[in-house]
Order: sequence, then structure tokens, then C-alpha cells
Amino acid sequence: MASETMVMPYYKFNVLTGTKAAKVIADPAEGAAIIDRAKNPLYIFGPEVIANPVGACLLIDYALKIAKSRDMPICATAHVKKKMLELGVKPDCTYDIIEIIHFLKDKNWSGVRGKGYHDLVLFAGVRCDLAERGLATLKHFAPHLKTFAVCRRSHPNADFAVPVIVKGDKWREYLEGLIEALGVKA
Amino acid sequence: MSKGKMREEEIRRIIRADDEWEPVGPTPMPSLIDLRNWDFRLLDTYEPFYAPFCDLCCLCTYGKCDLTGNKRGACGIDIASQQARWILMCVLMGTAAHGAHGRHMVDHLIEKLGADTKIDLGSQINVEAPIIRTVMGLKPETLGDLRKAIEYVEQEMIHLVSATHMGQEGSYRDFESKAFHAAMLDHVALETADIAQIVGFGFPTSVADTPLVDLGWGAVDSTKPTIVVVGHNAVTANAIVDYLRQHDLYDKVEVAGICCTALDVTRYDSGAKVIGPLSRQRFFLKAGLADVIVTDEQCVLTDIPQMAKDTGAALIACSDKICYGLENASARPAVDILRAVLEEQKQFLILDPERAAEVIVQAALALAPMRRDKKQLVTAAEGAALAAKCRGTCEECNRVCPNLLPVSVAVNQAREGNFAKLGEVFLRCLGCGKCEEACGHQIPILRLMQVAATRDTYKMRAGRGPIHDVEIRKVGSPIVLGTIPGVILFAGCSNFPGDIDEVAWLAEELARRKYIVNLSGCAAMAAAMSKDADGKTIFEKYIPEFDAGCIVNLGSCVANSHVVGAAIKIANIFATLPNRANYELMADYILNRVGACAVVWGPYSQKALAIGTGAVRWGIPVVLGPHASKYRRLFMSKKEASDWTVVDGRTKQRVDTKEPTPEHMMVVTETKERALVTIIKQCFRRNDTPPGRAIKLNSYISAYKQVMGSLPDDLQNFIRTEKEIPIVYKREVLAYLKEVGWQPKPVLSLPTIIGTYETEVPIEATIK
Ligand code: SF4
Ligand code: SF4
Ligand code: SF4
Repeated sequence: MASETMVMPYYKFNVLTGTKAAKVIADPAEGAAIIDRAKNPLYIFGPEVIANPVGACLLIDYALKIAKSRDMPICATAHVKKKMLELGVKPDCTYDIIEIIHFLKDKNWSGVRGKGYHDLVLFAGVRCDLAERGLATLKHFAPHLKTFAVCRRSHPNADFAVPVIVKGDKWREYLEGLIEALGVKA
Repeated sequence: MSKGKMREEEIRRIIRADDEWEPVGPTPMPSLIDLRNWDFRLLDTYEPFYAPFCDLCCLCTYGKCDLTGNKRGACGIDIASQQARWILMCVLMGTAAHGAHGRHMVDHLIEKLGADTKIDLGSQINVEAPIIRTVMGLKPETLGDLRKAIEYVEQEMIHLVSATHMGQEGSYRDFESKAFHAAMLDHVALETADIAQIVGFGFPTSVADTPLVDLGWGAVDSTKPTIVVVGHNAVTANAIVDYLRQHDLYDKVEVAGICCTALDVTRYDSGAKVIGPLSRQRFFLKAGLADVIVTDEQCVLTDIPQMAKDTGAALIACSDKICYGLENASARPAVDILRAVLEEQKQFLILDPERAAEVIVQAALALAPMRRDKKQLVTAAEGAALAAKCRGTCEECNRVCPNLLPVSVAVNQAREGNFAKLGEVFLRCLGCGKCEEACGHQIPILRLMQVAATRDTYKMRAGRGPIHDVEIRKVGSPIVLGTIPGVILFAGCSNFPGDIDEVAWLAEELARRKYIVNLSGCAAMAAAMSKDADGKTIFEKYIPEFDAGCIVNLGSCVANSHVVGAAIKIANIFATLPNRANYELMADYILNRVGACAVVWGPYSQKALAIGTGAVRWGIPVVLGPHASKYRRLFMSKKEASDWTVVDGRTKQRVDTKEPTPEHMMVVTETKERALVTIIKQCFRRNDTPPGRAIKLNSYISAYKQVMGSLPDDLQNFIRTEKEIPIVYKREVLAYLKEVGWQPKPVLSLPTIIGTYETEVPIEATIK
């Protein structure tokens, strides 16, 4: 499937005013390939992951499967940590969203697990207006990394964005497709 | 920094340099670059963080210029400097709004009372204007002196505006320094405006226990002729109160306000009502309960003339900043204007407050009996009918909602007579009206909210103005030692990310942990909009004195100056450091020793940006709600990875403290839970004594456990000695510190960053 660029996301206040727009990743398998190409990815969990249902689950249930599939470190922003601990998962770090972005701008930063800078940063569950600002920061000031907004409202300032997916079951299918394409490693 | 002999002489004359209340410090009436080294020192630790809205610059006709990648504009500017230029422009707008407000207030009162009118803030306040004293070196004694303060602001601003022109400033650090300068001027303007109105209108001062006033749209008795004042400059609102009193009409007419005019008119007369913050403006005005709408300045919706027409209300605009294209009737006889208002439904601009007051009151009296049917609220059955065409599927409303609210679901449920979801949306609604504009079926969503919105009334304490010198004497020591864990200011607008009562939650979490909690502006109103099981608001539950565990309402936005003023007074009155023209000395003291933090949970305006940026220059960290990310600039350290070297004032030696305090100077947090722990953390200071730090850590750990479910994972950054570990958490914390390989850190009693950069202030000046 040919990829398009994202200009008008679900939220119109996030419309791109610029020249550099996200590539729309309509096929979850392509999303999995992006993740697989990364050497040191990082997954940022925003507070919507513990608030937004996806089918009978929460977004965090899917996000955790994606993270686990490639042993990706997780940054639990806002107050996500509490729920993660209840789920028996300890996040790798708990910077708030703006703080982690501030670190990510720095190519010389040690990274969450001390393995150097992250070359791919996945976003999920961050408030869409705030996420878009953080993505814009990374677009302009972190040329050493790529961003993938795993959000059905879509994000033009990311490098890679999910298309706008209005229907809940289609969103669940996308996430399941992504997880399936990643194949959970033992 | 040499300004030239003539200017130096002029400054000495303006500030009466020969008056000997204190020696004149190094920076009387600083100009653009006099505090640049201080600014750069701050920027070294707290780097600007930019989040561009736009890849382009379109400021001049060379553009649009694409600034992505390493590209520069045709003028040579890069993306960081372009963001910083934007910030400077926005801060200047905020400063101009407060400055023009101050100018109008001062001129009006001088005209009314005379330039020689003495500044007397009552028996509890001797240091009447700590900001003006520190920045300018002037001890203002009369209204005429306050005019000098405004003239200083005006004079500096022309240079700052000039720097935003294409082909002027080219470095983001210098743009930020200029933004700091503009924001410092903003604080001068704030203090000027509030002192002027306290003196000129007799607002409460030297008293903490101000009256409790009624708040909420349900508090408005719209069976009476109803006047609604909107904006920030209460000159006309106060004239309305005067007219009603003089004509023995006060109990027959309802005066209610939205935004800061409401706060200030209740300082003038506590019988006036506060409808609520800016986010309630459009909702309330569309409900049609106002017979006359009176607009003054700032944060006034620009479509009020249309809303007034739609509801059959009269509109009188009273500020030269907001003329709406209306006829200026300032010189016309009141009877003439009134006739045109009543017979032709004409809207007017009236700049003469007394004349405006007469027209407004008479119009309200005449219109109220004719508008009874317009004051009927939408019923549930009518609401369901109005929503009939919604199927909840097109979601056009959701897509434009700036607070990401599920409007479609709420309206669709309202169609079936269930307004519960719409009630939830109302609590988070910013009142922008974008949803109903987007709705293809023209469903009047804001009017539907009348069915869902609670008509509860609340109690808020009227604004009390400056903090008393005697209060400072009492709390100065525990604040500096750290045993009062912090001084918090909740300021700013109502662009809240979540429910309107989040400010009340945050304020109470801090007050019950014995922080000194101050509120102003829309934040103060929102903090009143939550009641406990006994029906009490936080203003009824906590003490109004500036002391541990208080809830203080300072007043309107211009009263924000009093928290900065309190911080300066701690340095000046408690620590007896001279403040006259001594900006760096005061700011350094605040940064290192006064555990203060400003919070703007619902920021939207350029004014709030100016206030926050000004706080940073004073050394007061700012915590912001998520909408502030759209300001596009923050100031953050790299936490433990940054350089935290300071000078020990006693030994004059540089010491690497290894502790990131305060950690950031301007940071956005996403949720109220995260905000709570961040605010608490921003109150740590290098000067804290071990017992003081233990108290602060106790708050930090307890709040962190409450909202994050564990010990803080940066605890090791803030514990300097084992003595600082709170007893209740001792075993757990020791085990944790062992696990992360914690090492003790130095504790300094006189930390300063004077001496870590080039300045005229000697290190000795930091010690008294
Ligand atoms: S100001 Fe500079 S960057 Fe902006 S449009 Fe003009 S030339 Fe381009
Ligand atoms: S009026 Fe309220 S619900 Fe409607 S778009 Fe604005 S914030 Fe959202
Ligand atoms: S835009 Fe109008 S019709 Fe569409 S979902 Fe929203 S309220 Fe319903």
C-alpha cells in the first residue's frame, strides 16, 4: 500500500502548518517493520493508556504487548506508573512527557537503559495536543531519531503516524495486526 | 552597565536617588542588557525547550521561510531563534495588556484624586511596593510615583518591540533575555495597577480575613435587573456600584462579573457576585440572564456584540482597547444614549465611567421587565428536542474541541434525555463554542449545557491584596529553613486540561501538607468550585492568613505581584538584604533560599506567559498545565546531569551541590497527579536545613506514593544526608538508597550563584 503524508489529523487543532509531514502507516505490518529496523527503540506511555478502552481491554494492555515483543524500554509519563505497578510491570523510567523529550533531543544522552540515544520513539496515550508539541520538538531538534505515533487520532509532526481511525473495532484490529506482525518473542 | 551620563542623571532624578531609605543598588531602572548576564546564567542551567507550532516563519514578505532541518530564513534566522522571537512578542503583548491597564488605572485615579494622593496600604504594610523598589530603586509614595513606574515600563517596551523586527535580534538566548526583561516590566505593571486600585478604590489591605463572596452562575439572582461586567479593569464596574449606592438601588439590581473584573468589583463591594472564570463567559452570556453586558478589557470574547444581540441584552463597551466598531458616545448625554439603547437596541462605546454607569443601570432597570422570557433557561425536554438531529456519529464537534472532549456522545445522549455525559463535558468545557460552530445541524451545544450544568453556589474569599510585613516576619524563617515546605501561587486562566475543580484538588493537597497556598485570577475562582461533604469550599476550610496551611485569595491577575512581592520581602524584611535597585541580589536569594513555586494550571493568555516568564527571572519555578505546551517554550535542566555548582557564601568557594534544585524553571505536566509531585519538588531549595528538607521530603514521598504508588525514583537526588530522611519512611528509604548507590551531598547554609557568572554584585552582598 502506498504511504501518504498526514496533514489533517482527527483533531483539527493539530493540522500541519508546515512542510514536513508524517508518513501514514496504514498497514500494521509496515509499522512492525519500522520497529524492527530500530536498534534502540523507546516506548512512551501517556496517561490515556490507562484511561482509554480498546474493546474489552485498556490501551495499555496492547501497548505492553508491543513493548514486550521487542523488549523495548518504557517511559511511564504522568501518573501511569501506579497502574503499571498494579499490573506487575515496572517502567524503565518515569520522566514526564516534556522531560523525556528534553532528554531525547540530546544525541549524547545515555538513553533509558544506558545504551546510548534512542533511534526510534513510540508514543501512545499522550494527550493529543501535548503529544503533537513534543513530536514537533523532536522533529526540529532531534534529527538523530524517528518518531512513531501509535495513536488513532494521528499526528502530522511524527515521522510515522497511524491514519485517523474513528471506529473502535478498526483501532483494535490495527493494534492486533501490529502485535501479530511483531510476533511475541519468547 | 553604562547608560550614558544623561540617562543616569535622569534615572537618579526619577527615583529620587538622594532619598536615603536604602543605598541605590547596581541596577536602577535596568535597561535591555543590564540583567543579561543573570539571564544567561539562568539559561545555562535551565535551557530553553522549544516546541514549534509551525515549520515556517511568515513574519516578513521574504517569507514564508521553511525552517525545518538546518534551514534558515532569508534573514538568516533559525527555528530556535524564531521560537524565541515569538515568545518575546507574546510576552510583550502580555506586558502591554497589564501595562496599559496600569496606565489607565493610574491616570484615571490621578484625574479623580490627584497625583499627590498618598500610597497608604495600612498599618501592616511598610514595604509597599517591593517589585518597584527592587527593579527601579524607587520607593513610590504617591499615585504620581506610580505613573513613573508605568512610564518606565512604556519606555523599555519600545526597545523590546523594536528587537522583534526582522533583521534585529538573532540569538535565541538574547531573545529569551529580552523576554525576561519584558516579563519583569510586566511585574512592575502588575504591582503598579494593583497598588493604584487599592489606594484609589479603598480595596481591602492590611487585612487577611476578607469577606466570603458568592460565586457560580447559580448565585446570580436574575429575577432582578442584571448587569454583567466582563474583563479585567473594574473602573466602570466600581462606578456602577457607586451609582447604585448613590441612588439607593443596590438591593434592586444584580451586579455580577466574569474574569478579573468580578474579582476586583467584589474587592470594592462584597455584595457583587462572581459568575466564574473565562471558561464560563460564553456559556453564561448565551444563557441570556444578563440584561446589560458591560465589557472592559482583556480576555473579553470578541463576539459579545453578537451574543448580546441574540439574547436581547444591551451592550456597553467601556475600554478603548475593545471598541467593537461601536459609536463612541462618551460625550453624549446619558438620556440620549439610553433612548438609543432601548428604542434602537444600539450598542455603544462609553469611556466616561460615570456616564457609562448611569446608562448601564438605567438600561438594566428598563430592560429587565421586558426580557423575562429571554431569561428562561432551556428545560430538559427542550434540550432533548434541540439535540434531536444528532446521531453522535459525525464527530465534527469532537474534532474541533480544544479540550479533546467527547461532545458527540454527550449530545447524542442528551437527545435521549440523558444529560449526565453533557454535565461531565461541561466541567471540562473551555467555552470556546467551536463545537457548535462545527455542527452541521447547528445544535446549540452551549445552550444545551444549561440543562446539565449545576446551579450550585460557592463561597470564595474576596481578594486581600499584599502580604503583610508582619506575616513575612513570622514565616520568613521557617520558609528559608524549609520547615514551611513551600509558598505556592496558583495563577492564571481557566484553560484547564481536566475538570474545573482540579485547582481546588491541588490547592487542598498542598494546604493540608502545610504549604502556603495563594491564588489569584481565574484560578482563585475555579478553586472555589468544589465543596466537601459539609458543603464547604477550601476558602471556608483553611485560614486566610499567609501562613502554613492557608488558602489565600490575592485578588485579580494584577494581584499576582504580591507573591513575588512576598518573596522579595522575605529577603528584604526577614533577611534584611537591601532591595533598592538590587534585582540580582533579590532574585538570587529567591532562587536559592525561598521555596516558592508558581502554578498556572489553565494557561491560555499572553499575560499568563508574561507573568510566568517574569517569575522565572525572579528565580521562582513555574509548573504549567498541558495547554501551556502551546506557548512553545519552557526552561528545563537535565536533572542530575546538569551542573549544579554554586558558591558557598561563607567561604566564597565553589561547591558542586550535585542536587538539581530547583529542578526546572518552567515545565509542563500532563495530569494533576503529576503536577502535585512536581510542584512539591520545585519547592526544594539548596538552602533547606536538614530538618526543613526532611519536611519537604515527607511531602514529596507521601504525595508520590499517593499518586504514583511507590517511592520517588529520583529520591537520591534530593537527600543530602541521612538526617533528612523522614522518620516514617526511614527503613524503606534507606533500603532504596542502598540499592541505587546513593552518596551524601554537601549541605550549604548560604548558597548563591552570585560569583558563578560576571556580575557587579559582590558575593559579600549575599550575606548580612
Ligand atoms: S523574518 Fe526572516 S524567517 Fe521570517 S519570513 Fe522574514 S526572512 Fe523569513
Ligand atoms: S465549547 Fe466546550 S465542548 Fe465545545 S468545543 Fe469548546 S471546549 Fe469543547
Ligand atoms: S457535530 Fe453535531 S451532529 Fe455531529 S456529533 Fe457533534 S453534536 Fe452531533
